[in-house]
Amino acid sequence: MIEYKYYRATKLADISEKLLLHSEGSEQPGLVKILAGGTDLLVQIFEKDRALQNLTAVIDISSLTHALRYIREEQDHIRIGALATHTDIGESPIIAKHIPFLQDACNTVGSPQIRNKGTLGGCICNASPAADPLPPLVVAGTVVVIQGPRKTRKLSIEEFYLGKGAVSLEAGEFVKEFIVQKIPQTMNTAFIKVGRRKALAIARLNVAVAVQVHASGIIEDVRIAPGCIFIKPHRVTSAEDALFGKKAHRRVCAQAGILVGKAMIEETGVRWSTEYKLPAIEGIVEEALLRAMSKEDR
Amino acid sequence: MLLKEREDFRVIHQSKPRIDGIAKVTGKARYAADICMQDMLYAGTLKLPCPAARVTHIDTAKAEAIEGVEAVITYKTIPKTVSWASYRYLTGHVRYEGDCVAMVAASTQKLVDQALACIEVEYKEIPRVCTIEEALADGAPLVHESYRNNIFTESMFHIRKGNITKGFELADVVIEREYRTQMVEHSYIEPEAVVAYMNKSDGVMTVHASAQNPFFTRRYIADILNVPLHKTRLIQEVLGGSFGGKEEGVGIMAGRAAYLASVTQKPVKYVFTREESFLESSKRHPFRLRYTVGATKDGKIVAFRGEQVDNSGAYNNQTQFMNWRASVHSTGPYEIDHITTDTFGVFTNNVHSGAMRGYSSPSLIFGQEQLIDELAEALGIDEIELRKKNCLQSGSLTATGVRVEEVILSEIIDFTVANTDYKKKRALYKTLHQQQPNSAKRKGIGLALCYRGCGLGAESPDASGCMITVQEDGSVLMNSGLAENGQGLKTAYAQIAAESLGVTYESVRFYGTDTHSIPDCGMTVASRGTVMGAQPVQRAGKQLKAMLLEHAITLNVFKNPHLGVKDIDLIDSYLFIKADPSEKIALATLANSALWSGLQLATFAWFCPEPYEQDHNTGQGKAFPTFSYGCVVAEVEVDMRTGFVDVQKVTASHDVGTAINPALIKGQIYGGVVMGLGYGVMENTDPHNGRMNNKNFNEYAIPTALDMPEIEIHLFESNDKAGTYGAKSVGEPATEAVGAAIANAVYHATGKRVRENPCDLESVLLGKKLSKGGKK
Repeated sequence: MIEYKYYRATKLADISEKLLLHSEGSEQPGLVKILAGGTDLLVQIFEKDRALQNLTAVIDISSLTHALRYIREEQDHIRIGALATHTDIGESPIIAKHIPFLQDACNTVGSPQIRNKGTLGGCICNASPAADPLPPLVVAGTVVVIQGPRKTRKLSIEEFYLGKGAVSLEAGEFVKEFIVQKIPQTMNTAFIKVGRRKALAIARLNVAVAVQVHASGIIEDVRIAPGCIFIKPHRVTSAEDALFGKKAHRRVCAQAGILVGKAMIEETGVRWSTEYKLPAIEGIVEEALLRAMSKEDR
Repeated sequence: MLLKEREDFRVIHQSKPRIDGIAKVTGKARYAADICMQDMLYAGTLKLPCPAARVTHIDTAKAEAIEGVEAVITYKTIPKTVSWASYRYLTGHVRYEGDCVAMVAASTQKLVDQALACIEVEYKEIPRVCTIEEALADGAPLVHESYRNNIFTESMFHIRKGNITKGFELADVVIEREYRTQMVEHSYIEPEAVVAYMNKSDGVMTVHASAQNPFFTRRYIADILNVPLHKTRLIQEVLGGSFGGKEEGVGIMAGRAAYLASVTQKPVKYVFTREESFLESSKRHPFRLRYTVGATKDGKIVAFRGEQVDNSGAYNNQTQFMNWRASVHSTGPYEIDHITTDTFGVFTNNVHSGAMRGYSSPSLIFGQEQLIDELAEALGIDEIELRKKNCLQSGSLTATGVRVEEVILSEIIDFTVANTDYKKKRALYKTLHQQQPNSAKRKGIGLALCYRGCGLGAESPDASGCMITVQEDGSVLMNSGLAENGQGLKTAYAQIAAESLGVTYESVRFYGTDTHSIPDCGMTVASRGTVMGAQPVQRAGKQLKAMLLEHAITLNVFKNPHLGVKDIDLIDSYLFIKADPSEKIALATLANSALWSGLQLATFAWFCPEPYEQDHNTGQGKAFPTFSYGCVVAEVEVDMRTGFVDVQKVTASHDVGTAINPALIKGQIYGGVVMGLGYGVMENTDPHNGRMNNKNFNEYAIPTALDMPEIEIHLFESNDKAGTYGAKSVGEPATEAVGAAIANAVYHATGKRVRENPCDLESVLLGKKLSKGGKK
């Protein structure tokens, strides 16, 4: 059993204050985790996850909904508070209109209970490469707003992720919100997840795409972000480049899939799972592109 | 024939509501883990992070020093380490990762965990064998010194029928195949729990437990305490599922808790975490099935050779029964003249394999029913025709050489094939696959047959007893040593008792299982509850009814001295004169008078079937009183890019003999289909080198509500009289053919055989399993 201190934040300023109490060089240095929905953290504590060996304190921010739980539409982007739950996002008409594949992704996270408790901030800070909302956020273009004791700073979501389980947070810092660019109305999106069952499945693979096809059938714009296959999430420009200016057709989509597979091997090498992941990622990239292309205009 | 309304029954053959239904769905039912007692302690055990080791040093001083820790027991200080059934209470020689070296009782669960963490253990890892191949390899390390080559000799069974050499000479086509099945977990909602306390009034060690088999579990208490059975008592609490899983594991728990309660003289509660449940509870036996089958070119199967080897894990007293049944059923529901099969288990450093709904059948059928499809393809014959040409009919001889009668398998096949549009879909999908070879999704339809020996048969005496008491107000209490395990036994038994006694269903209640209240009636296993276990219920009801009618004459309740027992009857809790049923006397009136007149209002009946005898060397002889038959069709859509199998519809047709309670039967089949679906497409504990990769439900996938297929059920009745009121087994038949039907459907969709269950993403896409290997 892991024993740790428990703090309940009652205002935003509490978070940095408590984080600093245990930062390096303080009197009680040690690992501090923020508890938002708890759907990942509590499981990890229960499993005595090795990464939590030095857990010293947990700061429960779940009551700060006033300050951190929101979805707000602005000119070109949407602001999503760190405590917005997957259900909030999945049911939001703003998200449905402007970032439809994020809605799809959030609706496939875990179960209704997990979606009701789990938050976007927690999900992203948990930094699992299999996180379902991650590929749509990457495709849409997302800035993470990081609040520190004295200042706020911003990082793109690609920069924010350092690798599995690791994000770029300095002493006293926490994630306040996400600024997600609206997907232009001229683009169609798709999100596909492969799991071992239809619900409560951790993604074996996932992918988000956004495509803009001209009336003539020519691909004018395309963005592709796969999940589960890279150390740090990112779009696959080699695959996108191969589609620009081409006629929307199954053949080019398949080609894009192959390029994503190639990128996977270049980046992570051949692993035990590659034999499966390679054909499967090729397949779902192709499928996602075809799905997005075949959608009615928004 | 298909189930239809019948006039000849008053209470059975109706969908009466479950006796325990409301308490369960409203959350009022009490489970063993809900029990709390004054001064109660909590218990836990210490396991090593390896599956094969010898402890070289153990020091408990630090744990003992913790305040609130009341007992620290190790394999060195417990009076006996080996239970009556070979499983270990505690051990210094670890044979699988669930073996425990020490246990603790303390005033809180937190202190238990703390104390366990303070126990210092030094151990030496020893060589292990984990797979069937490793166990059988020359010079392999032995899991048990007394078993050469790790072969569990008592679990070896043979079928020798006809002349196998001659059989293959007659064959025009011979195919040889190997199939494998995986280790799966029962996945009951309620993890195992026991509460043990010394009843100081009578000196009886009393244990409340989530035990599937109360008498079997009680044996562990007497065993570890070395006291007579009458000084031990096991009370079964409501079970949150068992499916064969709450047998050995709960017995060991009851023994450990009883010992801790005896040492501390305080009540001890011992509840498994889900991880402990995965690690210590038995699993479905993984099988390696090698078959060679020969047929003439017109589709008559003439020769069948099989080798069925199962991975028994570290300890066992179930594999011999598992394999006896596997041996009897080794050729499937087909009449074949020349058969040679050998079945045996091997010990390995894995969790012990044990009973799980279907016993060996889901594994065997996964192989057998794919084999039939493969043979049909090799012969160029329609697979339904091949089945019909060879399947058991009335008058056929089984693999053990016994004639079967009242066999309705062909009727069930014809109905199910027509009902599902099987042949049309079979042809249509195949054409579509040829026309659109690159389509991302492909549909497939597959079929599997099953048959199952009802009850225990020659495995062990299928004997049981029942006591029924009529109370002075006409209400009825009944009791049996068989247990309600969620299958609806209390309800079915109350219906059977009411039917034979002549009272209303509502007037009968089932006492529940307490080992102090009734003789040992054997285990509630093998789908024997209704078919055989209820025989004495029917008998006791009949006896008591005769008794009551005599009392009515003796007490002259109709005020007519000329009436005899033959002139009156008891139906729906009312007595009446057959010649003039208008005058009715309530049973309550008779019971009240009888009580105050000192007349007997209770009876006990025992039932033991005729003995069955099989030749051990050839397996020939009668194995079961009768068989049930079934046909399952699965319809799937396979994502050709990812290998994901979407099971869209399952049609299950089963011969239930007589349907005692059609709604309960359907409930069993719905659950059985879902369990078969999990087995067929996703479930796998994925042991690697003796260590389980998936040991909680975040990693071990079972079907969710969204994975449910459409399920269509058809119940058939037959004229077979062997079971209680003609009933047959259904609990296990419900699940056993589903995985095989899915595998055949997947092949139909993809054109690639999955010969190693389950049809998971990798197997379907790549035709093989991928494993990340060792521990995460």
